[in-house]
Amino acid sequence: MSSNPDWHTITIHVPFASAKHAEIALQAIQVDRELQPHAVKRTLSVEDDVLIATFDTLTVRLARLTVNAYLENVDLVVRTLQEFGPIAAQRPAPPS
Amino acid sequence: MPARVLNNPLKNPERPYLAIGLEGSANKFGAGVIKHLEDGSTSVLSNVRHTYITPPGEGFQPRDTALHHREWALKVINECLVKANISMHDVDCICFTEGPGMGAPLQSVALIARTLSLLFNKPLIGVNHCVGHIEMGREVTGAHNPVVLYVSGGNTQVIAYSRQCYRIFGETLDIAVGNCLDRFARVIDLSNDPAPGYNIEQEAKKGKRLLSLPYATKGMDVSFSGILTAIEAYTYDKRFRADGLPRNSEDQDIITPADLCFSLQETIYAMLVEITERAMAHIGSKEILIVGGVGCNERLQDMMRIMAEEREGKVFAMDESFCIDNGIMIAQAGLLSFRMGFETPLSKSSTTQRFRTDEVHVSWRA
Repeated sequence: MSSNPDWHTITIHVPFASAKHAEIALQAIQVDRELQPHAVKRTLSVEDDVLIATFDTLTVRLARLTVNAYLENVDLVVRTLQEFGPIAAQRPAPPS
Repeated sequence: MPARVLNNPLKNPERPYLAIGLEGSANKFGAGVIKHLEDGSTSVLSNVRHTYITPPGEGFQPRDTALHHREWALKVINECLVKANISMHDVDCICFTEGPGMGAPLQSVALIARTLSLLFNKPLIGVNHCVGHIEMGREVTGAHNPVVLYVSGGNTQVIAYSRQCYRIFGETLDIAVGNCLDRFARVIDLSNDPAPGYNIEQEAKKGKRLLSLPYATKGMDVSFSGILTAIEAYTYDKRFRADGLPRNSEDQDIITPADLCFSLQETIYAMLVEITERAMAHIGSKEILIVGGVGCNERLQDMMRIMAEEREGKVFAMDESFCIDNGIMIAQAGLLSFRMGFETPLSKSSTTQRFRTDEVHVSWRA
């Protein structure tokens, strides 16, 4: 929970097909900073094959926008993993 | 200063290199695979693109464009790999557009690039969109050290290379030339399919009347927003006939949409030719390379050719497959920098809407 009682907190658990995929999603999404860091605090973590995101936001509106954007990003990563994951797994050690 | 012999810092590769490029800075999503061979030659294995086309009278909004890219990206990437007959395992690096462009579409494409990079354990290469255009233009046309006119929907720049930097000689002070054309196409309700600029070009061929418009070159720079306002004002003129037809046999003094397209093209292309000519005089080059979406306009190419012939120079231009935004140019510029040892670390792979052409260190040129 946030230290400030007025802030809004949302936690989202997204299970992935494997711990590796969850870790990839975390790393890919982590790179882009939140557009309003003073009003949105984001914490991402992985537990086994679950990607856990916690958002602390100043307003309800920001909570909605942030979660929407996050879920859209997760959706894109999941579809990319779904499309290319099986091919990637076929050859675990990539040729140099 | 004594003449220096410049050694090309880019050595021929010891083995073939493959790169995939993902581009999505505006309303096109493109993917392409390029191959660099041991003898220094380059071959395009595939170049696939899908364009987000809006209804007549509408432009593309960042959010909707990002949605389009998110929907089409995986299909386009798969098709590009199939056409190139390779697997993602075979590529040496994954190149993506770092900027400049629209924020949401850029971010979506970067997210896909990052995911693929992590999944296949391939290095990521962030590419400046403008440098991508220039490098692909140089590769396709074989131009040596040209003055580059980069004209598209978002950018208008006259560029020349010097000391590992593409220096901007002149540029637009407000909107890009393609933006001016696109927005005028909306005013007269032209279709956005395949591109508003293309439809203006076709319409202009039917134009008979050259109307007076402001001519706005300012030193090496140009300005288009006032011209757009002026041409829009003609559509409220009492002589304007939206259907292009006279009302009766006496109705001779009329202005048609075709006349406006013709006048707009003649005026703004004359401005571009003027600043390009001045840049040629500055650097003493006899070559002109036209890149960017507007670069496939044949009228612009013709006008440039007339100027070049008078100066005993040469124009290098391309067709739409390489002129309009595409993935292969990102792959080409990305692979050049990758071969020079450049790599974008994951933590630095966020995109930026503002990324000027001259911020890039062109390490692969002497």
